[in-house]
Amino acid sequence: MAYSLSLGLLYLGLLCGNGLVSARSELFTPDPSRGPHFTGCRSREQETFRCWWSAGIFQNLTEPGALRVFYRTKNALSEWQECPDYTHTVKNECYFNKTFTHIWTSYCIQLRSVRENITYDETCFTVENIVHPDPPIGLNWTLLNVSRSGLHFDILVRWAPPPSADVQTGWMSLVYQVQYRVRNASHWEMLDLESGTQQSIYGLHTDKEYEVRVRCKMSAFDNFGEFGDSILVHVAQIPSKESTFPMTLVLIFGVIGLVILLVLLIFSQQQRLMVIFLPPIPAPKIKGIDPELLKNGKLDQLNSLLSSQDMYKPDFYHEDPWVEFIQLDLDDPAEKNESSDTQHLLGLSRSGSSHVLNFKSDDDSGRASCYDPEIPNPEDLASLLPGHSGRGDNLPLVSRSSLSIPDLGVQQTSEVEETPIQTQPAVPSWVNMDFYAQVSDFTPAGGVVLSPGQLNSSPEKKKEEENEKKIQFQLVSDGAYTSENTARQLSAEVPPSPGPEQEYQTFPTQAVEGNLWNGEYLVSTSDSQIPYLLPEATPAPILPPVSDYTVVQEVDAQHSLLLNPPSSQPAICPHSPNKHLPAMPTMPMGYLTPDLLGNLTP
Amino acid sequence: MSRSLKQVAVLLVALLCLDLHSRVGSAPICAHGPSGCHVPSLADLFDRVIQHSARMHSLSNDLHSEFEQYFLPSKNHIGKIYRKCHTSSILTPNGKENAQKLAREELTEVILKLLMAWRDPLFQLHQSMAHQQDFNSFSSNKALEMGDMAHELRKGVEKVAERMRVLGMLGNSVTGLSVAEAMLPISDSGEAMSNYELLYCFRRDSNKVQNYLKILKCRIVPEHDC
Repeated sequence: MAYSLSLGLLYLGLLCGNGLVSARSELFTPDPSRGPHFTGCRSREQETFRCWWSAGIFQNLTEPGALRVFYRTKNALSEWQECPDYTHTVKNECYFNKTFTHIWTSYCIQLRSVRENITYDETCFTVENIVHPDPPIGLNWTLLNVSRSGLHFDILVRWAPPPSADVQTGWMSLVYQVQYRVRNASHWEMLDLESGTQQSIYGLHTDKEYEVRVRCKMSAFDNFGEFGDSILVHVAQIPSKESTFPMTLVLIFGVIGLVILLVLLIFSQQQRLMVIFLPPIPAPKIKGIDPELLKNGKLDQLNSLLSSQDMYKPDFYHEDPWVEFIQLDLDDPAEKNESSDTQHLLGLSRSGSSHVLNFKSDDDSGRASCYDPEIPNPEDLASLLPGHSGRGDNLPLVSRSSLSIPDLGVQQTSEVEETPIQTQPAVPSWVNMDFYAQVSDFTPAGGVVLSPGQLNSSPEKKKEEENEKKIQFQLVSDGAYTSENTARQLSAEVPPSPGPEQEYQTFPTQAVEGNLWNGEYLVSTSDSQIPYLLPEATPAPILPPVSDYTVVQEVDAQHSLLLNPPSSQPAICPHSPNKHLPAMPTMPMGYLTPDLLGNLTP
Repeated sequence: MSRSLKQVAVLLVALLCLDLHSRVGSAPICAHGPSGCHVPSLADLFDRVIQHSARMHSLSNDLHSEFEQYFLPSKNHIGKIYRKCHTSSILTPNGKENAQKLAREELTEVILKLLMAWRDPLFQLHQSMAHQQDFNSFSSNKALEMGDMAHELRKGVEKVAERMRVLGMLGNSVTGLSVAEAMLPISDSGEAMSNYELLYCFRRDSNKVQNYLKILKCRIVPEHDC
């Protein structure tokens, strides 16, 4: 019984001792391997301070009084004094009260064993550097707000400074640090230092329990005090699950409605959207000509279109280099642009200059109903061409080959003079006459293929024709004419051998409408549709190439081009151009009337 | 005789006039009424000065800990090597009660003495820190700023003292602070103090100044719990 009692007492004593020791050892862990040493000195309010020591491995020095503390202040030469107060309740503690505490003064303390006169430990410090303030008191929290979703909330944490610290007089200026964590987590969240006595914590999660604690230190010093007691913060989450359901429904329906609207919009504005997103590539267009018409092949409409065209751009000459031009009066090449080519051809002139075909009318010439076209000089003709003045090789449309294709075999002798073409003055109806023969294609050698069934005149013509016509008769596919001789040859003869121009055909000249010097004007035939290109059908024999060009000499009443003097064709026009231009040699070549051409067609 | 009397009279009048003029001090512009500029009260002045001293002390603490971190890493946080500062000769109260028991005039004088004593040593500190390669420019700028702040604080405290004198809170025992004798920072061994010692001492003295100002304010400006 006594034994058990003593055991119990001992056990209790050990517990109490352990508790005391453990409480202090949280602050200062004595080093058991060392001898007697100071474990720490602390001041709570910068007015008093305490020091603790430990005996260490020297267990024989644990009884009180074996180790003593001596201190010395360094403000003046002072001797070592013993600790003013050994705390009775706490073991190994030396307490310095207000009278013995001097701030801003260096202290040095020694741990001595008086019996052995050994100094085991010594340390020096100043009091303001060992201040660890007490923890703040009165920690509480208030709810600031809860987020709309109900998942987060903010709180305001408040506390009071430790009562031991004299903050009212300003003796101690404290700063605080708040820490929080989810309960039982391992990591504490630290907030910034706060000089006031409250702080907000944002972004806490509902339905989670939080732990908040606070500690303080002197501003501009480094020693934090102990933490105060933690408080628990918890906000229950308001169940609002039913509110999310309609929200999702609303979202889904809204998205579906938007999609439907978009689809409707796209379908209704499809054309516009197509134009915006996929702009149409502009197709090449010919001014005044509907490509549909060309495709359909309705030559009547096209001819009417062509004949109704008054305007054309002189720049076209440059664009289509293989367009042949009729050289007219060469005095004023600059004025050529002012009037149409048909007018040039026909001798009409708006400006009244002699630049175009037969603008000049001889005063002594009596004009008949059909006028004699003046045959311009080859040089004049050449200079009429824009941009080609001075080039002797330039040839007009009708009588010469392509300008930019020198291998067409343009042959022009300088001595050949073309009779100028005379036109009746001021006959506007000329512009609507068709007097061209359409050329389907041209040979590399320079020959021009007319359609239908016409072939180039061959060198097997009559000798006088060859002599007279020095310029090879060239026909261009964009509407040239054939000479009468050529036509006669074509109709009368069967070419002995197919030449290279076998594949070409000529177009009938009748119903070539319009003075449009387009590259594409067609000749409308009375009987049939004219194929644009007939490369293989050659009903007529191939003739050797004729001279390069033929000059339109006059236009008769039937709106046919007179290529030769009318002496060979008295039925056409009684007038002879030779009267008007005695200097001009007569062209041996004739001309084709639409009737003739019609005979020629196979 | 009359002539000499006249001259004397003229002289006397002149002297009187001069004396009068010399006695008339410069009146502040804002002295008349609230329509003028805002005149800070004594409490405001004290607050400003205390704030300034707190900043100065914080700056000195930063510099000191920086120095300690880079140059004396093995320092025990308890043990501090004893250093004798050049301002140790100035008698300063070593505790709260001592400071509270001290007269206002003496407390003010102590503050001014401390600030005066650090004017030249801070300049020297900045110079030596700027020249050394060990410190980066940031630290030397801090030292310069510290010196400027000490200078401004001294001016501020002088103004406060002036205001207190005007308000009659200070007796006439505080004379216009006579320029303190040049106190060269010399350590025990007679050599000039090192940078670390200067920083250590200034950190301590700036803390003193801050606390003294707070106590002074608490005593002069009536506040609750003071």
